[in-house]
Amino acid sequence: MEEKFEPKIVAFVCNWCTYTGADLAGTSRLKQQPNARLIRVPCTGRIDPVFILKAFESGADGVLVSGCHPGDCHYNAGNFHARRRWIMFRELAEFTGIDSSRLHFSWVSASEGKKWVDVIDGVTETVRQKGPFDQYRKMARNIELPIMEEEGVEI
Amino acid sequence: MDQLRSVCRQAISENKAAFIIGYTEDKHHHLKPFIAHNVEETEKLTFNCNAVNNLAVFIHRFHNPSQGKIGIVLKPCDLKAINALVQENRVKREDLYVIGVNCSGVVKDQNKEFSKENTQIKCRSCASKTPAWFDVVVGESAEFELPEDDMAILMKQIDEMTPEQRLEFWNAEFEKCLKCYACREVCPMCYCEQCIADKTEPRWIESSSTTRANFTWNMIRAFHQAGRCIGCGECDRVCPADIPLSLLNRKMGMVAFKEFGYRHGTDMNAPTLIGTFSTSDHEEFIR
Amino acid sequence: MKLMKIEKGNLSKLMEHLKKDNFRVIGVTPDGKRFSEKFDETLNFMQSDTPPTSISFKEHFFLKTEALFYYKNNNGAIDLKEPVIDERKTVVIGARPCDTASLPILSKVFNWDYADDFFNRRVENSIIIGMKCNYQDDYCFCNEVGLSQNSEKGSDIFLIPDGDAFIAKTITDKGNKFIEEFAIFFEEYTGNPPAENKNGHDEKKFDYESVKKWLDNNFEHKFWDEAGETCLSCGQCAFVCPTCHCFDIVDEQCGTCAGVRAKNWDACQFSLFTKHASGHNPRDSREKRYRQRISHKFKYYNDKFSEILCTGCGRCSRGCPVSTDILELLEEIDQIAHSTTN
Repeated sequence: MEEKFEPKIVAFVCNWCTYTGADLAGTSRLKQQPNARLIRVPCTGRIDPVFILKAFESGADGVLVSGCHPGDCHYNAGNFHARRRWIMFRELAEFTGIDSSRLHFSWVSASEGKKWVDVIDGVTETVRQKGPFDQYRKMARNIELPIMEEEGVEI
Repeated sequence: MDQLRSVCRQAISENKAAFIIGYTEDKHHHLKPFIAHNVEETEKLTFNCNAVNNLAVFIHRFHNPSQGKIGIVLKPCDLKAINALVQENRVKREDLYVIGVNCSGVVKDQNKEFSKENTQIKCRSCASKTPAWFDVVVGESAEFELPEDDMAILMKQIDEMTPEQRLEFWNAEFEKCLKCYACREVCPMCYCEQCIADKTEPRWIESSSTTRANFTWNMIRAFHQAGRCIGCGECDRVCPADIPLSLLNRKMGMVAFKEFGYRHGTDMNAPTLIGTFSTSDHEEFIR
Repeated sequence: MKLMKIEKGNLSKLMEHLKKDNFRVIGVTPDGKRFSEKFDETLNFMQSDTPPTSISFKEHFFLKTEALFYYKNNNGAIDLKEPVIDERKTVVIGARPCDTASLPILSKVFNWDYADDFFNRRVENSIIIGMKCNYQDDYCFCNEVGLSQNSEKGSDIFLIPDGDAFIAKTITDKGNKFIEEFAIFFEEYTGNPPAENKNGHDEKKFDYESVKKWLDNNFEHKFWDEAGETCLSCGQCAFVCPTCHCFDIVDEQCGTCAGVRAKNWDACQFSLFTKHASGHNPRDSREKRYRQRISHKFKYYNDKFSEILCTGCGRCSRGCPVSTDILELLEEIDQIAHSTTN
């Protein structure tokens, strides 16, 4: 039987809103797709685009970046700075072939457990449709080939 | 270029500048950067259509306000770098003595005569033949015919590709990268004391030269230049592997203008793009 | 030594044949910039009067990044895995004397205190088909470093253009065997042995011996401050050079749960090259680093291995972002050396 593709999603979430929102989803026993690996950072302002690339390098098929709604930032303006950065980085990623079906952004507050479930389900489904991001992993083939074979990346 | 030499001579003898960063001609009749430390050395300074380097990069090396002002020869396009550096508090306007030169385009290949085909890519989209500001200006600019902007054509081609094709395109380009970091060292806006590519704890950008690590390096460099790159095209010029690096920077510049009406390097008093924000920045892409 | 002849048409057929035969064939890319497996199949680059490529062929023997081994945590034990080396036989075509000579020079350092198996295996597996050079510009100085446009150093087979054909001279046993194996592409050569053409210049641009002597005694000299003044500290010169061979060894993530120990190109112009863990950097300025580059090439390597670590190809000068011309500096050293001895 062929194994069904389960996408690996890396989600960078801020400590104060989205992480707490995801926690609420859990304590409320809301059912959600289990594909995301959450990485908690103090604030979306801390999220350097190099994190996103690092996630893809490490085998992520999709990345989600999520934080507090504008105006809700624990540090007042972290998410405003982040938003401006994302506007730029998103276009750069798109221009180089990491399109918006792999790179997602959202605002999820501490009270929005339900929204978190919707976001994570939506992202997972989009990335599942898109398939594994082997094209990205293959870029390292001149050095990683033996390991890629071992891990079953299609070459 | 007697005018340039006399201006530089005066600048040093009248203490307007401690030394002059300019161009000199080598035995191949190419121009290369040259630092004139005294009046005698100013005799070696010159300027012509072979003056391809952006000399603003040397400011970071010689910046020492206690020694006096830096005299620097700048083309109109290179002057944008000074605007951007003043914006970022890297240098003070009053620490510089700017010798602007009117420019009639510079060559792509210094072994050949200046012609329509033999012009730097940056000249093909350049609208400023006279410096926007200066302490003193020399030379005259002449009209010259501009060939088609290759980079704009390439940009259009990439815009029409699917994401997979785009990744494939950049994959093929970055496969060629040797990680010599000439793009970084020659860039007037790359002045970090320690580059993120040289950080080892943690190592954000792998030092191995796999296509993927090259991709990360060039993406991060392009992002760090977002809203900062002044489009001097030095990275393109020096890349030994001929990767169209400025394409990424140009894309970022276009986004900055489209989204924020921001033109980098034009106003030294403007706040920086990434260092600021507006509560009304658009966010329809955020769920 | 044996003399044979090969028509240009036959040469491309031979290359096609080799590719089908699972050889790794390396030639010059259509833009003339680089050696690659994706070379110009019309063999347009087989002209001896065009400039050398901007990047040397070193990258096919001493890779810009190479896996030494892989490791993985297996419940507390470490699993090691050998790297995969491309063991295909290799043929390099279109290399000039200033390229081919680099292999015997590099071989000395790669077989000094430790034999570099990766480099050695690649060289052993290769047939280097060198070609006589008729190109000469203001950056070239192969003459001055003991080579010439006719140098066969490093070649297994040496081609000399002869009208629409090439005279193929076998230099090594490997070359002999290769020509025997693919004899159908070659014909007997019946003409006179080809005359060695004179180099583009008779006068030497500088005298190596006096440069070396000056370097021996002038570690501290104001010349160095001027020489490296506008250097930007990029690694362009080292990475296009056929003989620069410094590398760095790093451990990096590999795949999702393994690691790789990799050997990557490094350059003495980088500020981190000599930085100690303590934070101290003995070569903390660009001037000092530039001195190192010149001294390593023209003094230290010679002291240790009796070879000059330079083939005079001029690539570093042609490509330098700030147009630093290594030949000009050597000429200058020569002049200083003469003016102080006289």
